[in-house]
Amino acid sequence: MKKLEFIYEDGPHKWAVVARDPEKPNFLIDTNEYLVVNGSEALLADPGGMEVFSAVFSAISAEVDPYTIRHLFASHQDPDVISSLALWLDFNPEIKCYLSCLWSSFIPHFGGTAETFIAIPDEGMGITLGNLALEAIPAHYLHSSGNFNLYDRKAKILFSGDVGAALLPPGEDGLFVENFDRHIRHAQGFHRRWMGSNAAKLNWCERVSRLDIDMLCPQHGAIYRGEDVKRFIDWFAALDVGSGIKE
Amino acid sequence: MVDVRSNTASQASDLHRVVKANEDIKKVIRISSGVNLVALNAMLTAKRSGERSRGFAVVSSELRVFSRKLEGAMTGLGALIFELVRDAAAMRKQHHERRHLLNIQARGQQMQKLIEPVLARMDERIHKTGGEIGRDWHQLRLQLNRVLQLCETGGSLSRSAKIEAVYGGDMSATLKQVANQIEETVNEIFSTLKLLRTQLAE
Repeated sequence: MKKLEFIYEDGPHKWAVVARDPEKPNFLIDTNEYLVVNGSEALLADPGGMEVFSAVFSAISAEVDPYTIRHLFASHQDPDVISSLALWLDFNPEIKCYLSCLWSSFIPHFGGTAETFIAIPDEGMGITLGNLALEAIPAHYLHSSGNFNLYDRKAKILFSGDVGAALLPPGEDGLFVENFDRHIRHAQGFHRRWMGSNAAKLNWCERVSRLDIDMLCPQHGAIYRGEDVKRFIDWFAALDVGSGIKE
Repeated sequence: MVDVRSNTASQASDLHRVVKANEDIKKVIRISSGVNLVALNAMLTAKRSGERSRGFAVVSSELRVFSRKLEGAMTGLGALIFELVRDAAAMRKQHHERRHLLNIQARGQQMQKLIEPVLARMDERIHKTGGEIGRDWHQLRLQLNRVLQLCETGGSLSRSAKIEAVYGGDMSATLKQVANQIEETVNEIFSTLKLLRTQLAE
């Protein structure tokens, strides 16, 4: 089953990742769900698909009271990101879901009411979790046309959604990137095929390189730490995206 | 076959019950790790007391064995909770799907005829999942009873520690203090588990 692992702890302020499910069927892509906790309030970023709901829910419940989850953050509209929405709302109908204004009338097809959603404008917005300020950072066209990252300035963590994602083979699927050059081969195909705009990519790289980031956390694959964050941004800036269709 | 509709309300609350039970289990796991420390402290105190507290040392050693067994039993409870979450989530998903099928069925006779076999298969799945949830709860209650039986051993050990402390000579007061600590910890586990058993029986 999936396990929750804390990746940042500073008193009541914590980040945890729910990752690596050995029982997951191979036809489902592996996903990382991130939980941001600030005291008695928590936000779950990219809560995952309906099929992995029980594994995610169990992993979280083993360490954190799931009633503390008051907010969901959907980086974009994909089923592996947010199709579990109806089940989370079944559990707690008061949960609010942050998502791009582009998708605020699409994602309700997965569940929810008019009161469930908080639409993020294209330019991004601040999200408060108790006394903690988080930021929805625009990452449009990477890969979705309405796409956001979540930045925690205090923890210096950027949840980057599909940016930085890698499809890791067994044996090379550690939680953190340990050997950048070896790891990035598994990210290359994904970024070339899923990311469609070089202009959007360069714009993102320019903005994100100005942020103070200790950890860059993608929805698939491994987490980049320290110098590997800059290495990734430089690598991504140089990559020709929108070029992944096999001839 | 059990009426699917009549079970909806109780099945919808399964996830909430599981979460509540899991919070109690987590509390006991936290206290259990405390037992190990209390037992270690008791062993060290007994060692310092020398020959006169040989009996206390034996009890302390048994207490460490109890702590390990308790940890294993609680891990077993945690695994059962995972099964329950999985089945309760599956049930919720199936009810969502069923609701959509009922919407189709309500759109006239032709639709009703079309959807009937699908609905029947869905009801069969819901019934099966309901059975699995029932078995999960039963297993959870059985395992909880086993843990409570194990706790009886913890209770006996805490009583023995109090008796042995009396023979501790100069160290008697210190040993009594440790024995009281053991008693408090075991009692806290006991009362949390008993409360959990009552909740599960509701």
